[in-house]
Amino acid sequence: MISISGLCKNFRTGDHTVAALQAIDLEVGRGEFFVLLGPSGSGKTTLLRSVAGLEKPDEGEISLNDKTVFSRSRRVCAAPEEREIGMVFQSYAIWPHLTVAENIGLVLTHGRSRMSKKSAVERIRRSLELVQLENFEDRPARLLSGGQQQRVALARALAVNPALLLMDEPLSNLDARLREEVRGNIKKLATQLGITVLYVTHDQVEAMVLADRIAVMAQGKILQIGNPFELYRSPANALVAEFFGSMNWIPGKMLDANHVKTECGVLCVADSRSCDGAVIVGIRPEDVRLGRSSNDEENRIEGNVVRSTFLGDQVVTEVTINQQTLIAKTPPDDGKPEGNTSVHLPKSKLVVFPDLSERLSH
Amino acid sequence: MKGRWVVVGISAAALIPVLALLLLVLWMGFWQNGPGEPIVYTLNHYRNIFTDSFTYKTFLNTVGFAATAVLISLLFAVPTAWLVERTDLPGKNFVFMLVTLGALLPTFFTAMGWVFLLHPRIGIVNRFVVDVFGLQQAPFNIASIIGMGWVEGLGLSSIAFIMVVATYRTMDPSLEEAARVHGLGIFRTLRYVTLPLTFPGIIAASIYVFTIALSAFEAPAIIGMSNKIFTFATFIFYKIQPLEELPSYGVAGAVSTVLIILALLLSWSYFGVLRFSHRYAVVTGKAYRPRLIELGPKGWIFAWSFLGFYVLVAKLLPFLLLIWAALLRYFQPPSWAALGQVSLNNFYGLPWKLLLQGAWNTLILMLAVPTLTLLICLAISWTVLRSGLRWRLLFDAVAFLPHAVPHLILAIATMFATLFLLHNALSLYGSLTILIFVYTVSRISFATRIINNSLAQIHPELEEAAFVGGLKLLQVMRKILVPLLKPALVYAWIWMALLCYRELTMASVLVTGQNNVTLPMVVWGLWLGGSLNQAAAANLVVLAFMLPAVLLYFIFGRRSRVTEAV
Repeated sequence: MISISGLCKNFRTGDHTVAALQAIDLEVGRGEFFVLLGPSGSGKTTLLRSVAGLEKPDEGEISLNDKTVFSRSRRVCAAPEEREIGMVFQSYAIWPHLTVAENIGLVLTHGRSRMSKKSAVERIRRSLELVQLENFEDRPARLLSGGQQQRVALARALAVNPALLLMDEPLSNLDARLREEVRGNIKKLATQLGITVLYVTHDQVEAMVLADRIAVMAQGKILQIGNPFELYRSPANALVAEFFGSMNWIPGKMLDANHVKTECGVLCVADSRSCDGAVIVGIRPEDVRLGRSSNDEENRIEGNVVRSTFLGDQVVTEVTINQQTLIAKTPPDDGKPEGNTSVHLPKSKLVVFPDLSERLSH
Repeated sequence: MKGRWVVVGISAAALIPVLALLLLVLWMGFWQNGPGEPIVYTLNHYRNIFTDSFTYKTFLNTVGFAATAVLISLLFAVPTAWLVERTDLPGKNFVFMLVTLGALLPTFFTAMGWVFLLHPRIGIVNRFVVDVFGLQQAPFNIASIIGMGWVEGLGLSSIAFIMVVATYRTMDPSLEEAARVHGLGIFRTLRYVTLPLTFPGIIAASIYVFTIALSAFEAPAIIGMSNKIFTFATFIFYKIQPLEELPSYGVAGAVSTVLIILALLLSWSYFGVLRFSHRYAVVTGKAYRPRLIELGPKGWIFAWSFLGFYVLVAKLLPFLLLIWAALLRYFQPPSWAALGQVSLNNFYGLPWKLLLQGAWNTLILMLAVPTLTLLICLAISWTVLRSGLRWRLLFDAVAFLPHAVPHLILAIATMFATLFLLHNALSLYGSLTILIFVYTVSRISFATRIINNSLAQIHPELEEAAFVGGLKLLQVMRKILVPLLKPALVYAWIWMALLCYRELTMASVLVTGQNNVTLPMVVWGLWLGGSLNQAAAANLVVLAFMLPAVLLYFIFGRRSRVTEAV
């Protein structure tokens, strides 16, 4: 559905140039819910706007539905109105001088389809039904609440029957409770209508709830593409790992392919991914085991409990092993550990990456 | 807090004269006889102006003149603003700068240039057309309502441009993008989204320009007065400085009162429309500039032809004509014969002593007025935004009055006061001090608005932290507020200095001799005396004096602040 190759975009601000997109390659399949995830300034919105035709890339190619809409080498750059898309903006971009029905009607009667006013009425009604805004037709748009505006924006984007729906942080201006509700609706609608969605967000929970696949972006590059489980369990690098939930990092040195010397003794690791020299070993807090609950003797160390906090659904414990501090999240029924305890770091849950900070300091 | 009352006191002391001047105008309108005689009150002046056919003619003249000016200014300002803000036109930053700076080119300057171009008798375009087509009569007449409106409109187009640009900038660009991605092309987006959304802003700009044009003095004075075509402004001026009869302050007061009421009504509707247009303004946190519309080479040629024509008629042509006129003893169209007569004699013959005195006085005004105004307006802004005083909004309203009330009328009221009320206590009439006073009063609205905008963006806790740390209010102002407000203060200072430089309207009433002559008044004097070519030469000299000040603007005045000025 979307095929992007070698896409580059630089922004010039005054004297210096910022590389917003650096040789992006991306394939999104038909009917897929694809999320671009990254911190602000990672280039995700620039990528989305390039697909929409609102930003003109410097290099590369974009094709939508097997039709090339941008190609630097072939000097193709389709205007936004020539691309078959619907889009929901972060600010919703609901035209304040029109009513709800007119907001949707304008794109039906004067947009790509140019349908008659009469047939538009039925389409407007149906698209408002999709977002549960029946009977809002004559409401002036500027009198809508944020959540309602968001739904009108979605209805407008869907009304044109787009093959591709683009969404630019559509939930970031809603309050937390509403966000959860709307998130569910968006997912339901996308599945129900079977359309392809390209969705930009900086919220990893949102990305995991919505996405079939996620591309994690930072500094204009795609770090990793995968489904939520892959990204959580086998991150390609430390940055991706940290973006999805918290991580304990233990610096160390590779001894051989399966052993790392650390502050917590020699750790046995399953997959060192051809690292050598200085590395960091990572483990998620919920994977750290405390006490003698298992018989596995591998990677078992004695630690000292510094602090333990009961949070209802889990117990968060801070343990030190020599100079190294680890956070462990354990089920509430295991009780609050105190004093000296046995710490188990399951081999299969450990990830190893080259220690970039170490390398930089040398 | 003692400091607080000092600040409030300063703002009150500055605003009381504003109210006093207005009341004086009102009072003036009921005087039967001239000042100096025992006062007899009468309603005759009002009866006369409402029954006199001449008043109606003047009223129609004024409205026609102002409406023409609005149309002309929008005709140039709206497309220019769109080209600069929304397209990829190369060199548009240069256009922005040129048009913005154009606001400083005095209208009396361009008015003189246009007289040389389109005057029925001497205008070179008329002479050329008459010769080529063998006409009996000159086809164009600058000495008409349309002609004067054309000149005034060209002058006001800069202000209209600045306002329309501001409307484009406060509009959320994604409103236009939403139209584009859902299939509306450039022109449909323009027609159904951009224009309807900017329409309130354009209407607001029209009312603003109309209000200024209604009491505009320079174009009607330079072009109209010698041809007996009056607008309200020149009519009032003529009543207090007539050529033959005695001044009739009563009539001037009555007409002024009517004009003030009109201007206040217009300002009131201006704010109404502005509030309406702000409903559409969306402030997004995103730094994305809208996708610029690609005009393509054909579009560039079209756009540049339009902009070229605009710059040509608004600035370049009058300028060239003044140069040509300044080099000739008698004005005539360019020809080989005329070229032979070109000389610098007009420059040698200028009253240089007067010019230098004028330059000195103008310099003092340019230094004193902005400084004084800023000090006063800092106090007013603080009173309005920070004092928590119950009457603070009254301060805001009074500070706005000098914008709504025609400056000509402020000057007349000041003259009246110094000539007949204060003359025993203070001899201010004909002094430079009186110019400093009235210039300062007239700029209060401008400076207050700029400082208000900036002060509103400074978090009060920054000051509160200093209070808690033990600083007194005046120290807080000096150490915290002034440094934080510095960019706005510098910008306002330079802009006001440049406005002082080109000020003719108020000076024409209050300048009485060498003592307080200003540069524009020297030009005006020569023009009124009939030495048109010498006036042109003087105009060029005056413009040359202005260059260092414009340079300062380039160095310190920031581009982004221009939109706050109106």
